[in-house]
Amino acid sequence: MFESIATALGPEFYQYLLAGLVTGLLYALIALGYTMVYGIIELINFAHGDLFMLGAFFALQLGIWVGAADAKGQATGQSAILAVAVMLVAAPVFCASLNVFVDRAVYKPLRTAPKLAPLVSAIGVSFIFMNAGVFWMGTYDLNFPALVPNTNLTPDWTVAITYQHLMVLLVTIPVMVGLTLFVRYTALGKAMRATAQNPTAAQLMGINVDRVITATFAIGGALAGVAAVVYGLYVNSAGYQMGFQTGLFAFTAAVLGGIGNIPGAVLGGILIGIIEKLGTGYVGDQWRQPLIFAILIVILIFRPNGILGARTREKV
Amino acid sequence: MQNSAAGNVNRRKFLALGGAGALALSGCGGGGDNKGDGKGDGKGGDGTPGAKETIRIVSSLPRTGSARGQTNTIVNGIQMAVEEYMADPKAKFVIDYKDWDDATAAAGAWDGPTEKANAQKAIADPDVMAYIGPYNSNAAKISMPELNEAGLVQISPAVTWPGLTKKIKGVAPDEPEKYQPFKPKRIHFCRVCTTDDLQGPLAADFAKEELKAKKVYILDDKELYGEGLAKLFKQRCDEIGIQVVGQEGIDTAAVEFGGLMTKIKATSPDLVYFGGTTQSKGGQIAKDLVKSGMTCPMLAPDGCYEQAFIDSAGAANLNDRTYVTIVGLDPSQLTGKGAEFVKKYKEKFKTDPEAFALYGYECAKVVLAAITKVGKKDREEIRKAVLATTKFTEGAVGGAEGWGFDRNGDTTLRQVTVSRVEGGKFVPKKTVTK
Amino acid sequence: MTLRGIAGYWMVAGFLLLAAVPFMQGRYVAIYGTQLIPVLCFAILALGLNVILGYTGLLHLGIAAFFGIGAYVAGILSTSGFPFGASFPVVVVVATLAAAAIGIATTAPTLRLRGDYLALVTLGFGIITVSVIRNLDAITDGTKGLTPVRPNFLPGFDDPVFDKTRPGWKDTWRGYPRLYFLCLAVLAGVVIFLRNLERSRLGRAWVALREDELAASCMGLNPARLKLSAIALGAGLAGLAGALFALSQDGTTEPRAYGFERSMLVICCIILGGLGNRPGVLLGVFILVGYDQIATPMIDNWMQEKKLNPNGKEYLKVSGWRLCIFGVALILMMRFRPEGLLPAARLKRELHPERDEVAGEAAAKLEAEDRGQRTEDRGQRTN
Repeated sequence: MFESIATALGPEFYQYLLAGLVTGLLYALIALGYTMVYGIIELINFAHGDLFMLGAFFALQLGIWVGAADAKGQATGQSAILAVAVMLVAAPVFCASLNVFVDRAVYKPLRTAPKLAPLVSAIGVSFIFMNAGVFWMGTYDLNFPALVPNTNLTPDWTVAITYQHLMVLLVTIPVMVGLTLFVRYTALGKAMRATAQNPTAAQLMGINVDRVITATFAIGGALAGVAAVVYGLYVNSAGYQMGFQTGLFAFTAAVLGGIGNIPGAVLGGILIGIIEKLGTGYVGDQWRQPLIFAILIVILIFRPNGILGARTREKV
Repeated sequence: MQNSAAGNVNRRKFLALGGAGALALSGCGGGGDNKGDGKGDGKGGDGTPGAKETIRIVSSLPRTGSARGQTNTIVNGIQMAVEEYMADPKAKFVIDYKDWDDATAAAGAWDGPTEKANAQKAIADPDVMAYIGPYNSNAAKISMPELNEAGLVQISPAVTWPGLTKKIKGVAPDEPEKYQPFKPKRIHFCRVCTTDDLQGPLAADFAKEELKAKKVYILDDKELYGEGLAKLFKQRCDEIGIQVVGQEGIDTAAVEFGGLMTKIKATSPDLVYFGGTTQSKGGQIAKDLVKSGMTCPMLAPDGCYEQAFIDSAGAANLNDRTYVTIVGLDPSQLTGKGAEFVKKYKEKFKTDPEAFALYGYECAKVVLAAITKVGKKDREEIRKAVLATTKFTEGAVGGAEGWGFDRNGDTTLRQVTVSRVEGGKFVPKKTVTK
Repeated sequence: MTLRGIAGYWMVAGFLLLAAVPFMQGRYVAIYGTQLIPVLCFAILALGLNVILGYTGLLHLGIAAFFGIGAYVAGILSTSGFPFGASFPVVVVVATLAAAAIGIATTAPTLRLRGDYLALVTLGFGIITVSVIRNLDAITDGTKGLTPVRPNFLPGFDDPVFDKTRPGWKDTWRGYPRLYFLCLAVLAGVVIFLRNLERSRLGRAWVALREDELAASCMGLNPARLKLSAIALGAGLAGLAGALFALSQDGTTEPRAYGFERSMLVICCIILGGLGNRPGVLLGVFILVGYDQIATPMIDNWMQEKKLNPNGKEYLKVSGWRLCIFGVALILMMRFRPEGLLPAARLKRELHPERDEVAGEAAAKLEAEDRGQRTEDRGQRTN
């Protein structure tokens, strides 16, 4: 079937699919942060996209410190591998700590408040993050050093696969597999699932719900940190507004897959990525945003709980 | 159910707050009334401090959000001009320059009500003799009618939409009259930058003559500036026989354009034209163009003529393949007073001046020259003097012959320079004067 | 006089105060008065969202889209590019109805969705609307916006020309202060209308739906119809606000003005002020929009005047910290007063049950008052 579609759509079709898959995996990483937090405390964390942005800034700063990039973010050609390694370790730690700190300082006192209170606080945190981003790196988009080369590995194919594509796949897929295993098999993972299902019951079973929430914010933040590094290395830029659309698409991905559902977030992310690229390719770049949301709405009309979302029965 | 006694107590507070607000309102009204409270700042006047009258010049530019970088350089330029004026012991007035913001935090960009309020504030303050700005053509549409009615001269360093000052065939039949409500007709708006109807077509000519382009793909950012330029560029392409293989508006909220580049690559153009600015992702477009493996050059307008464009795209992605047009001359081409300005700017701000710094400086220079000429605080006289500017050589861009305003308030300096990025810097290649 | 009467009196006082603004002395009064016109429009917009979010409890993240639809309908009906040339009453009514109709049409298919899924759909709707406005250049003129929005006041009559009696006053009804009074009157009308609506069968049904949808439907209320009516009214008010906004700006400005940020700001306004409570919502709008559009430029100018920041350092300007201050204010507010500055009585009791228990004369009095209230509420629910 793909063959016939592809001939109708032209040889670029596969390239769009690849670009969509790669971008989608990155959206999925961010979407996981949304979906996990939502699953546990039912908070739409509007600041998550901006956390991702700060992660990218931090990674860029690390690159400058290590000497892989000059002050303007241009690659110097030195210690690229070291820089990537440092970024992949330090940026997730940074984002995780920041996320946990924000949870402790802002969301924790609001656990029993009505649902809109943490939501508005999250918007507030997002403003603060953006302001911090402006003070940190200014208002212009910056270059993020291309530490992973953009060499075309398949010059004879219609699809150009580069080291950057491979890097995204090699980082994101193991992270997602690892996360799934973690949630499924470790004690903390089980505690998370239990808390997501019913916090009160989980507490009665002796689960430290506070610890679970902290862990969730830490993991969500770390995933955003990984995504920030990989995204920076893949698109080679960072700017204070990058968190907005990326965060929005990731959030959309989380809802599309069924919010609170981990495989759903991954599926949603990939779908959004592919829709985005095909939309640009066959409809027009200016229509990519409305197209994504239009498809989202249509899907939600038919599957009101997302693609993989469980049908919840009304609580009486 | 809102009408319990508890609600009542709060209503009292509500009123108290309202009262405080009213006090604040009348307070600022009162504060504004004590004239010339800036007299104490007369540090520039060596001879008789305090005896000089104060003239206020205001600028209304987006100082919050993504345009901040460019407006910083404009403000720097204005400040230099003001300082130069004040350093002159013969100066008759104390110039009090105010840098107003027409952007809001919530919008992150210029905002209609704020621009309008700025215009009105300037009108209401009798010390204000000139209004520099705005930065965005759409914002000009809002402040122009207000200022026109009040007869306060408005001079913009960056607004390039042609329709603000003159009729353009078949675009908007009621332009520019709808921005000039005052009867009888009077012109209050002028600009030191050339309009886009010069830059777009000349860029197309350059593409054909110098770049030998036969097939071109046109992108724009869907903004007044970028889309307008792209249209004018396309018109000229059709006239001179360059094939336009595709034209598309981009989603400026997006972070990357990999998919779009795949699409462009399939049409194998000789040139990609981008009508847009650094803020509307010029750097990312250039970067993704290279990443997609295309080798064709890219051409962009003066919205990308700034170091930030090179920095955001990464110099390696632009070198020897990216051309940017600019109205007027590159700062490095300047001689005489212009070169002096560049030198002084470098000393003061430790960076090379950007093209917009020149225009900020030029705006202020023109206004200050008019103030000197008129010699009194009279808006109407100053407006006339500014618009009557001819053979102006005191600023940075005039060169030896100088420039002036035509009867619409547009600059007579109809010059476009095309520069190529080489070694991470703009290197002027060709200057066309028309 | 009954307590209810006195309470109404405070609101009236607030409105009279606003109505007195144009008559105050001072050079800048006219400017701040002109700046208040969009604030009044935002107040109507916020009251519209309050119907959806405050009364009915539907989290709508795309209210600004209706605001934009209203503005663009006004633009289409009155700019010279279109053949309509409608007058002011037509513009306002059509804009309101169009926004309400679009609200119903777009919400009806998604009524099945709950909570955050509905929120996302409304967010998507908002983004789609702005993109469509932006991309359909043929109708909306893209990012240029439609200008000038200058409808006649009445069909068939020439506009009256007024004297410019005070500095800053305009000679047309479209300028300050006539438009200011007009917007204020519309706002007052909306407030009175909502006040009566709150106590009507429909208003009480909305609250019942918000508190417990299942219970409400068991009582024979039709949730779908109630939700649609709330959306229709909220969207209609937003459309009305949009039309007035376009009028005050003499154009539709840019599609960007109707985007996600505007929706967020309005949500912040009503939550900060007091969800579900009209005076609270109004207060929230005046504080937040006032901070953003009036206070920060004022402080920055003052700092320039006093030369507090001679080198123009970014981090020494208030405008540099605007977003941050905004964020911190929201967070502190939610932490220490989540019910908003002027909360609805019900929400306040829900969040601070301990205050009901405090002894003392005032509290006892309150309690007595509350008891009556509760009985009334109970009566409403069983309606």
